[in-house]
Amino acid sequence: MAQHSAKGAQFQVITANRLHDGEVVYLDASGAWVADLKDALIAEGAEALEQLIAQATAEPCATGVLDIYPFEVIKDAVGQPIPASVRETIRAAGPTVRADLGKQTELR
Amino acid sequence: MYRYDEFDHQMVRARVDQFRDQVERRLSGELSEDAFKPLRLMNGVYLQLHAYMLRVAIPYGTLSSRQMRKLASIARDYDRGYGHFTTRQNIQYNWPALERMPDLLEELADVEMHAIQTSGNCIRNVTADHYAGAIADEIEDPRIISEIIRQWSTFHPEFSFLPRKFKIAVTGHANDRAAIRFHDIGIVVRKNAAGEVGYEVHVGGGLGRTPFIAKKIAEFVPAQKLLAYLEAIMRVYNRLGRRDNAYKARIKILVHEIGAEEMQARVETEFARIDGKGNYDLPVGELERIRAYFRDPDFLELPSDSETLSQALAQDPDFAAWFKNNVVAHKKSGYGIVNISLKPIGGIPGDASDRQMDTIADIAQAYSFDEIRVTHEQNLVLPHVKLDDLATVYAGLKEADLATANIGKISDQIACPGLDYCNLANARSIPIAQDISNRFAELQRQNDIGELRIKISGCINACGHHHVGHIGILGVDKKGTEFYQITLGGAPDENAAIGDITGPAFTADKIVDAVENIVDTYLELRHSDERFIDTYRRLGMPPFKERLYQDV
Amino acid sequence: MSKLYFNKGQLAEDIWVQVADDAPLQNDTPSIISLSRFKEQAASLAERTGPLGVRIDAGSKQGEDVEEIADRLDQLDLIAIDFPAFRNGRGYSTARILREHLGFSGELRAMGEVLIDQLIFMHRCGFSSYEIDTEQNKSLDSNHFTDAFARFPDAYQPAGDDNRGILWHRGQS
Repeated sequence: MAQHSAKGAQFQVITANRLHDGEVVYLDASGAWVADLKDALIAEGAEALEQLIAQATAEPCATGVLDIYPFEVIKDAVGQPIPASVRETIRAAGPTVRADLGKQTELR
Repeated sequence: MYRYDEFDHQMVRARVDQFRDQVERRLSGELSEDAFKPLRLMNGVYLQLHAYMLRVAIPYGTLSSRQMRKLASIARDYDRGYGHFTTRQNIQYNWPALERMPDLLEELADVEMHAIQTSGNCIRNVTADHYAGAIADEIEDPRIISEIIRQWSTFHPEFSFLPRKFKIAVTGHANDRAAIRFHDIGIVVRKNAAGEVGYEVHVGGGLGRTPFIAKKIAEFVPAQKLLAYLEAIMRVYNRLGRRDNAYKARIKILVHEIGAEEMQARVETEFARIDGKGNYDLPVGELERIRAYFRDPDFLELPSDSETLSQALAQDPDFAAWFKNNVVAHKKSGYGIVNISLKPIGGIPGDASDRQMDTIADIAQAYSFDEIRVTHEQNLVLPHVKLDDLATVYAGLKEADLATANIGKISDQIACPGLDYCNLANARSIPIAQDISNRFAELQRQNDIGELRIKISGCINACGHHHVGHIGILGVDKKGTEFYQITLGGAPDENAAIGDITGPAFTADKIVDAVENIVDTYLELRHSDERFIDTYRRLGMPPFKERLYQDV
Repeated sequence: MSKLYFNKGQLAEDIWVQVADDAPLQNDTPSIISLSRFKEQAASLAERTGPLGVRIDAGSKQGEDVEEIADRLDQLDLIAIDFPAFRNGRGYSTARILREHLGFSGELRAMGEVLIDQLIFMHRCGFSSYEIDTEQNKSLDSNHFTDAFARFPDAYQPAGDDNRGILWHRGQS
C-alpha cells in the first residue's frame, strides 16, 4: 500500500478513493468512509494504526473503495486532522489552480 | 483523415462491451482491484489524486470538428466542463466516474474515438508531426504509416503485457516536430533514390528517470517490411526487457545495456525469421487505401498574397502580432497553418473548456477543412486556413481567449498536471508555469527574447518533457517542501539534447527570479539572431550558473 | 489452488502431472518436468516412450530460453509456459517462437497467473490449453471460456493463429 507518512508519525488518518466515482474518502470512527477530512478518525500511535489498517482493508470496510493507505496528520486547535504533507493537503481540498473544483467548493 | 470502416467500428464497440462487462464485475465485487487494474489501464483509466482520470486517444493528434464537439460534450456531461491536451497528443478528463465510463466510451465510439491502450504496458498512441500534410518539404505524410502502426498495434496479442509502456513517434520531415529521438521507437519517413518510401528506425529513446537519445538501427526499411521489422523489435524487447524492476524495464535501458549494435543484430535476426514467412508484407492495396485518406483536401488555386490579409494586418496590430507568432507558412500558396495557443497568460497550459472546444470545432469546420491537430506541446493547430480567412479566424479565436500570440515564446510552456492532479507527482508544476507566464506577460518582451521553450515536470517521470526544454524545470520534494531544479540546453528535435542541471534547486518563491536571471544572462551575451538555445550551445553552462548562484 | 483446465475449446480433465526435479519419473504417466531437468537428463529422457512435457518459466529478469531445446522438440508432447504474474507477457513471445519458428505442434499450455480476459490473446499466440486458477477468476464456467473467445469479431494483425488480420484481408472482400 502507498505510504504517505513519516516513520514514527504520531497521528495518522486512513484514506482511500471511492470505487464507483473515484471520490477521495477518509475512514471515520464508525468504520464508514466519509468525504470530509475533518470527520476522519485519527489513529494515535503505531498499534492503533495497525488495527485500523487491518479493519479498513478487510470486508466489509474494503468493499466499495480502492487504494487504501494511511497518511500523517497533525491536530488543529479543536483536535481535527490537518494533513502533514502538501500532497494530502491538496487531496483534501482540490487542485490549487482551480479554486472552483473539488472538495474546496463542495464542502464549504 | 482516416475514417473507420465496419471492422474498426466493430472492434471499438466490442471493446466497449468488454469494458462494460469488466466494470460491472468490478462494481459487483466479482473482480478484485488487482485483476481489474491492468484491464482498466488498457482502457486509459487511471486513479489520480482527486478522482479517476480518463485518457482518450487522439491518433497522431488528428481530429475532426465532429470529434472535437463530442470531446466538448463529454467534458460537459461526464466531467467538470474542461479537458487537458497532453504531451502525447491525447486528451485527459480529470473527474469521470467509473460507473459512467462505459457510457462515455460508447459515446466516443459514435465518433470513431476510444481510450484503448492509452495506458498500461502496451503500445500507446502513435504520435506524429502536427504539421503533417500542411508543411512544405514533407517527404510523406507521417500519418499514413502512423495509422497502419495504430491498427497493427491495437489488441496485439503478443505485445499487450510488455515489461513497460511503449511509445512510437513518426516524422515525415527533416525538422522533427514529433521528438522521435525520445521515443521507444522513432521513425523518420524517407525516400530512396528510386523515390520509394521507406523508414529510418531509431530505438531506445526516452525521458523519465533516465533520459536517452534513441539509437538508429535501420537506415531504410522498405514500406512493405516495416510491420515485420517493428514486430522484430517488439519481440526482442518482450523477451529481453526486464520485469524485476519497473525503473529498468523500458527498451531504452535494454539498448543502453546491450548496446546499439547488439540490439540491431538481434532485431535483424528476428526480422529475418519473421520476414521469411512472407506473412508480414503489408499489402500494397491496403497501404494505398490508407494513403488515400490522407490526400490533400480540395485546396483552391490562390495567389500567395492576400489583399484581405494585408489590409487586416495593417489595421489591427494585435492581429499582426498574432499572425507573426502563430501562423506558419503552408505548402500551398494562399494558405497558412494556424497555431491555437492553449497558454493564455497566467492560465493552465493545455486546458480547454467545453465552450472553447466547441468554438474551435466551429472554426475548423468553416475554415480549416474540418480538421484540427493536437501538438505534443499542449497546443492545437488548424492545419489549412486560407490567408483570406485569417482575420476572421483570429476574431473567432480571440473571442474565446484562444488567440494568445505566444507560440514558441517563453510563455508557451509545457507543464504536466503535477501535484495539483497527479498521484505520482512530488511538486506542483502548473502554478510555476502561471508565475513564469505572468512575469513575462508583456508581448514585446517575449518577442525580444524570441524562441525559448520552457518545459516543467512535477516529478522524475518527466511527462512535462523537462529534459528537452531549452529551460527545463523539475519539481522535487525536499523534506516535505516543493523545490525546483533547473536544466538548460535540452532539445527534442533533430538536434536532440538532454538538458544540463544547473546546480542546487530553488524554492517556489525563487524559481521565477531564477528563470529571469537566466533570460537576462542570455540577453546580455547573445549575438544577433541567436536564440537562447544557440547562445547556450555557444557558451555552455558557466555564465548561467554563475548568475544563478552568485548570491549563494 | 483449485483450477480449471480448458483444452481445445472444452473444459477437460487434466491428465498431466507436474513432477519435481528430484522425483522419479513414471514412464507411462504424462509428466511435466522443468526445463533444466529436461536439459540435464537429455540422455535418459531420449529413451522415454511415455508422454513428456516441459515447463518453461517466464522469469522476472530474463526468463528461460526455449530455443535451447529447439532440436529436441520432437521428444515433447506438451510444453507448459508458466506465467509468474499475469502482467509478465514474456510467455506470449515464447509461444509464438515455439509454434512459428520452431514448429512445435504438441499441446501448448498456459499456466500460472492467467486471467480469463487474456485467453483470446494467448489463443492467437498459439496456446492450445489453459490452466486457470479459480481464486482469481471466481464463478468461472465453460460459458466464460467460449465468451472470451467470441468477444472480438476479428483481429487487426497476423499472429500465431490462422487469422492474418483485418489489415490483410480487408482488401480481399
